[in-house]
Amino acid sequence: MKKYQIGEFEEIVMLTMCILGEDSYGVSIQKEIEARLKRDVSMGALHSALVRLEEKGFVKSANGESSEGREGRPRRYYKVTGLGHKAIAHIRKTREDLWRAIPAAAIKAKFFSL
Amino acid sequence: MKREGPPAFFHAFFRWYCNPSFMRNIEGDLLEFYHERVKALGRQKADFLFVRDVIRLFRPAVIRRFNIYELIPTFGMYRNHLKTAWRNLLNNKAFSAINISGLTLGLACSILIGLWVNDELQMDKFHNDIDRIYTVTSVEYSGDEVNGSYYTPGLLGEELPKVFPEVEFAANFGWTQYHTFAVAEKKMRIQGNFAGDDFFKIFSYPLIAGSKDNLLRAPESIVISKKMAKSFFGSPEQALDKTLRFETYKDLKVTGVFDDIGDNSSEKFEYIISWQLMMERNQWLKDWRNSGPTAYVKLKPGTDAVMMNEKIREFIKNYDKQYSKLLRLELGLQPYGETYLHSTFRNGKISGGRIEYVNLFKLVAIFLLVIACVNFMNLSTARSVKRAREIGVRKTIGAQRTTLIGQFMTEAFVITLIAVVLALGLLNVMLTPFNLLTGKNIPSPLTDISFWSWMFGITMFTTMMSGMYPAVVLSSFRPAVVLKKAVYNVNTASGLVRKGLVVFQFSLSIIFIIGMIVVSQQVNFIQSTNIGYEKDNLLYVPISGRMAVSFDAYKRELLRQPGIVDVTYMSDRPVEIGNSTGGVEWEGKDPETRPTFTQAQVGYDFIRTTQTKLVLGRDFLPEANDSSNFIINETALKILGYKNPIGMPLTLWDIKGTIVGVVKDFHFNTLHVAIDPLILRLGKGRMWGWTLIRINAGHTQESLEAIGSLQAKFSPEVPFTYQFADEEYGMLYQREKIVQQLSRYFAGMAIFISCLGLLGSVIFAAAQRTKEVSIRKVMGANVRQIVTLLSSDFIKLVVIAAAISFPISYYIVRDWLNGFQYHVDIEWWTFLVSGLGAVVIALATVLFHAVKAAVSNPVDALKSE
Repeated sequence: MKKYQIGEFEEIVMLTMCILGEDSYGVSIQKEIEARLKRDVSMGALHSALVRLEEKGFVKSANGESSEGREGRPRRYYKVTGLGHKAIAHIRKTREDLWRAIPAAAIKAKFFSL
Repeated sequence: MKREGPPAFFHAFFRWYCNPSFMRNIEGDLLEFYHERVKALGRQKADFLFVRDVIRLFRPAVIRRFNIYELIPTFGMYRNHLKTAWRNLLNNKAFSAINISGLTLGLACSILIGLWVNDELQMDKFHNDIDRIYTVTSVEYSGDEVNGSYYTPGLLGEELPKVFPEVEFAANFGWTQYHTFAVAEKKMRIQGNFAGDDFFKIFSYPLIAGSKDNLLRAPESIVISKKMAKSFFGSPEQALDKTLRFETYKDLKVTGVFDDIGDNSSEKFEYIISWQLMMERNQWLKDWRNSGPTAYVKLKPGTDAVMMNEKIREFIKNYDKQYSKLLRLELGLQPYGETYLHSTFRNGKISGGRIEYVNLFKLVAIFLLVIACVNFMNLSTARSVKRAREIGVRKTIGAQRTTLIGQFMTEAFVITLIAVVLALGLLNVMLTPFNLLTGKNIPSPLTDISFWSWMFGITMFTTMMSGMYPAVVLSSFRPAVVLKKAVYNVNTASGLVRKGLVVFQFSLSIIFIIGMIVVSQQVNFIQSTNIGYEKDNLLYVPISGRMAVSFDAYKRELLRQPGIVDVTYMSDRPVEIGNSTGGVEWEGKDPETRPTFTQAQVGYDFIRTTQTKLVLGRDFLPEANDSSNFIINETALKILGYKNPIGMPLTLWDIKGTIVGVVKDFHFNTLHVAIDPLILRLGKGRMWGWTLIRINAGHTQESLEAIGSLQAKFSPEVPFTYQFADEEYGMLYQREKIVQQLSRYFAGMAIFISCLGLLGSVIFAAAQRTKEVSIRKVMGANVRQIVTLLSSDFIKLVVIAAAISFPISYYIVRDWLNGFQYHVDIEWWTFLVSGLGAVVIALATVLFHAVKAAVSNPVDALKSE
């Protein structure tokens, strides 16, 4: 993980953006995470994450159109960059490597002890 | 009016703090959510969620970069001031160290004293309705004699509410005494008091068990502390309605339990027993002409205390048949909140008490701080020479005078702030030993909000004190003059002021030193003066159990023990006899007067055991029938006016007897008051009182063991306790001893801080005159001449300070000593020693640096040009 500095929440945000594709902006990302992960997302946390991700170069953003209810304020659409894709792929790989390294018996024992 | 959009304030707040590069995007998100939620959840819920989101968005990543200049328009200037102040601080490490250490010490001491003063002022203030609670004062007029005190008749508490509808509650309150209590096998000797039924209604000592009504109505009721309840019964709740055995003869029922008395109460007691029992045990209290207990009243809300004072004045008239213009006891009311600090009577009026020490220490605190501030004033103005150019340049560029004043005040503020922080650290270290010394229990004040507002005030005061004068002087420089001249001489006026400040500092310090010496002398005098009886190797054991009824047998047994020399009985302890009476008649007495005599009962061998001196006549003897005979002291003899007192008649109450002996005056009260006339009569040991035992020096331990084993034989129900006369005597003067100790520290602190300032001035003067010194040396001046040159100015100032401080300190210490009826005289050498001491200390300080400057190689100073 040294290579890519990503927090857990940032990872979730990026994955969600991949799901949403073209339609990912503040409100849609927040709703998607809330719907899928059944957790309350703080707007402050989300926007901090977006700002940090953009600073690190994992996402890029552009102003889009406005819509009803936004009183003329433009949406800001976010897109995962190539570096961003690499980063989440790297995380996924390291996780899977770790899972594979666990002996099957250990997992079982763990379940039983619970 | 209906609002369309989200809460305006939070919306504006968001727009204010959000980073503008994406503010409109996030604002859009917020609004989108908001309008959606208004539809789905209603306006109220949407408003709430909007506010929540705005607050949650207030995070570093979202907030814009604030430019500090935006917040304070003149910030750049202040920043520059701070920077200059900081650089100056580092540039002149010696001066900064002197300034800061002086201020730190001064502040720490002042704050410490402030805490003590505050603690004193807060004493007893925790009672609810404190403004309605009064202590009854009594002034006894007898001929020309006026005597003010808190002693009142024992029936007063019961009578007052019956007569005056304005009095809501009233209660008598006895004097602190030790009594033995037992529950089953457990017995303890505990300190407590007796009080009337209303006591707990007047005061707010919190009850944790029992109800306030009829708490002490029945004669056998007792209210005990939580601590006492725990040690006897396990818990306050279990203690209720249980019985305690009182002094082996009476069962008392616990009607209530109060929370342990805190440090903020001047009255300390572990139990309160019904006043009815007090009256039963002390029949003399039923006579309106005798007084002893204190009385407290609580007036109804809205009562005019001045009117009430007037009404209560002649109250006793209706109860005392002998009441007359010349012979009367006048009552008065003193607000209870003042009683702790104002409790000394002079000529029948309350004048001072502890408040004198509180005021004294307040002054000391302020002066210590001022002395420290003077250092700063002095050094800053002295150093102004070095900064003249800076000021000139600043003014040329366009600095206003007010701006420059602001700059120098900022410097003072920075130094003060550092000193305050250090002082608070020091305070935390010093608090424990200070508490130990003063017998207080002051907690660390750092968590107290009011303390911080005080600290803010002190910081501002110190900044103003120390910064104002230098700021005014330095900012007054005229730029043209300053910049043209190679060396700018500080004008003579500020030089004079500086000298004046040094004189002021040392005057205060010398006053402190003189005060310290005189207080020490007086305390030593108290310790060593011949008080008329031998207080060393004399101990008292309280009478209890069979000791009382078979005192003679007990005494015989005691005398058989090793190390015990003499034994006698006394109703009071010789350090403090408090029973006075006006009921004395003799031949040739002026019927218009009723002088007060102190009276006590003693046993056989009283003179021998206490080692008082017999002037005339004899001691009480077993072979003579002395039951109605008296021994009087010299003061009493003067009042009686008998030429040959032995065998002359004397009547005390209804005891008609004759005088058999005259004892030399001895001090049975503190040295603050004159020795009262004393009448001793023979008492054969009653239910209470004291066995006085004279032991051989060096046999203390074995004597104590022997006395203890006899106690077990004669009074097994009562635990063995004893007191040494010399220790009891020392207890009387604890306050004076504390003052002695504190004055020592404060005087040392004052002179130390002053010398710090002096050292700074010398360092500066030497630096200023480096070239002069070097040239003089080259021309052949020797070290002694140079040292004289550098130091004589300062020493002159200290000598002047000494001269100024002598008359002032003379008045102060004379005033303090006059508070003692018996005191040391002010000796001339006290002044000489303290003045010389100050000069020598100052000289040592000055020489410390002057010599260094004088022996330096002139080449080092001269070659640099």
